[in-house]
Amino acid sequence: MAVTEPSTQRSVVARSFQAGLNAGGSAARSLLSFAFILALWAGVGAAQMVPEAIFPAPWSVLSAGIELAQNGTLAKDLSVSLSRAAIGFAIGASLGIVVGLLTGRIAVVRMLIGPFLNLLRPIPAIALVPVAIVWFGIGEGSKYFVISYTVFLAVWFNTHAGMEYVPDIYLRAARSLGVSRLREFMSVIVPAAAPYIFAGLRLGVALAFLSLVAAELSGASSGIGYRLQEARQYIRTDRMFALLIILGLLGAGVDLIVHRIGQKLVHWQQG
Amino acid sequence: METKQGHVHVDNVEIRFQGRDGPVTALAPTTLELAPQTFTALIGPSGCGKSTLMNAIGGFVTPSSGRITLDGAVIDKPSEQVGVIFQQYALFPWFSALDNVRFGLKRFGLSKREEVDRARAALDEVGLSAHADKFPQALSGGMKQRVAIARTFAFGPKVLLMDEPFGALDAQTRLVMHDLLMRVWQKHKATVLFVTHDVDEALLLADDVHVMSSAPGRLIRHYALAQPRPRALNRAGSDLLDIREDILGLLRPADATAL
Ligand SMILES: Nc1ncnc2c1ncn2[C@@H]1O[C@H](COP(=O)(O)OP(=O)(O)OP(=O)(O)O)[C@@H](O)[C@H]1O
Ligand SMILES: [Mg+2]
Repeated sequence: MAVTEPSTQRSVVARSFQAGLNAGGSAARSLLSFAFILALWAGVGAAQMVPEAIFPAPWSVLSAGIELAQNGTLAKDLSVSLSRAAIGFAIGASLGIVVGLLTGRIAVVRMLIGPFLNLLRPIPAIALVPVAIVWFGIGEGSKYFVISYTVFLAVWFNTHAGMEYVPDIYLRAARSLGVSRLREFMSVIVPAAAPYIFAGLRLGVALAFLSLVAAELSGASSGIGYRLQEARQYIRTDRMFALLIILGLLGAGVDLIVHRIGQKLVHWQQG
Repeated sequence: METKQGHVHVDNVEIRFQGRDGPVTALAPTTLELAPQTFTALIGPSGCGKSTLMNAIGGFVTPSSGRITLDGAVIDKPSEQVGVIFQQYALFPWFSALDNVRFGLKRFGLSKREEVDRARAALDEVGLSAHADKFPQALSGGMKQRVAIARTFAFGPKVLLMDEPFGALDAQTRLVMHDLLMRVWQKHKATVLFVTHDVDEALLLADDVHVMSSAPGRLIRHYALAQPRPRALNRAGSDLLDIREDILGLLRPADATAL
């Protein structure tokens, strides 16, 4: 005991130091990658190898972005798009969780709708736009439909999988402790499936952003997706680039937030 | 207050499973009585059906023939009368040690205050009061099993099934766990059935030791141990040592004795 203890301590210290290095290292590596691409891009722009209208230089994109921000369209587009994504996500995610809980635990429900939902999964959001327009018109309804549909399938699938693979030993322990079925469900089955549900929600957030642009193809008069379309008509590639970068940063930011929340809530999953 | 009994009769129980090439007998017809509040150890070669027999008493597996009763009532599904302690602990990782114990107290419908007090007392009994708020991942194997023991005894089953509960622990920790289990069991009392691969463990703990044959398992030998506890196996001339030789002989595969 006395002999092994110091070495264990040292290895713990070494490991946490290593982890710190890794965390710092990965941020540094990302920055390095961004800097590299930006330099390459700036080089191409400065050499004027490609016409600006086809492939704008970084500074043109930056000024297009500043222009969008200053004339107020960016703020409006962002708030419209984000609220579409948020509402579509909320509808799709809540339905996905509820249906996943049902198909995961109730054999009849699983038999009746599981195979059908699996058949829907390969259909891309954009293919639904025509149907959405016929059903919901070109108002907000069709956007919510397209986004929530995509989110629903992802969240449903993960929730369902999580519910199906609740380790038997947890159920046995719960039964031998004489708890009610309701408590077993709420305190054992749902927490056991929670890591899967969160993975589904995280995927759902990414999909909400992906399908947002598709949804805004269904006739919109504002929003990031609409502004991209509009930029195409005026061949404003600088605006397109600015909008794409904003979309990317936004998606990554929200993903990070959801990931952090998930880590807090399903804290037992690490390691 | 109900009188705590815990009289288990395993009456000519046979258990077959549907294997890939036809039915497999996991447990040959077995008859076994667990007297109220005794401690019975079950020992036998791997795959002989020890876990299967436990699962049947726990109500997780239905006998193919024969029946199992607890205080006269047939056991056909898991119930709160029969507690289980698993080798893999089966603590809920989303609950702290305290909340794991509280989970077992839910059925009493106590006030929150009372529930927490009782759970704390149970953790105190297994020497874990300082770790009540830790999550299972932050506890050692021995500590996890102590939480599981606290959870089960706090909840007060009549029968307690333990399937190699200390099998994953190192020898030192095991000795500590033996003392702890004896202490807690003598306080709360329950009819215990304890599966182990460790002959010494069986001899140190049990009132009755049953030895099973290799698969499909039958009970082949019974030893009633009246030696007072705490027991030790290292005193020369102890009759426990003779029994130990005897059991080791029974467990030795037939072909190995020729060597
Ligand atoms: N659910 C099942 N389906 C099919 N066969 C099973 C099932 N459970 C157990 N068996 C078989 O029954 C036999 C007895 O298994 P059991 O787990 O009871 O043995 P054991 O004595 O507990 O062994 P060990 O000491 O290794 O834990 C084995 O041959 C096993 O393969
Ligand atoms: Mg076993």
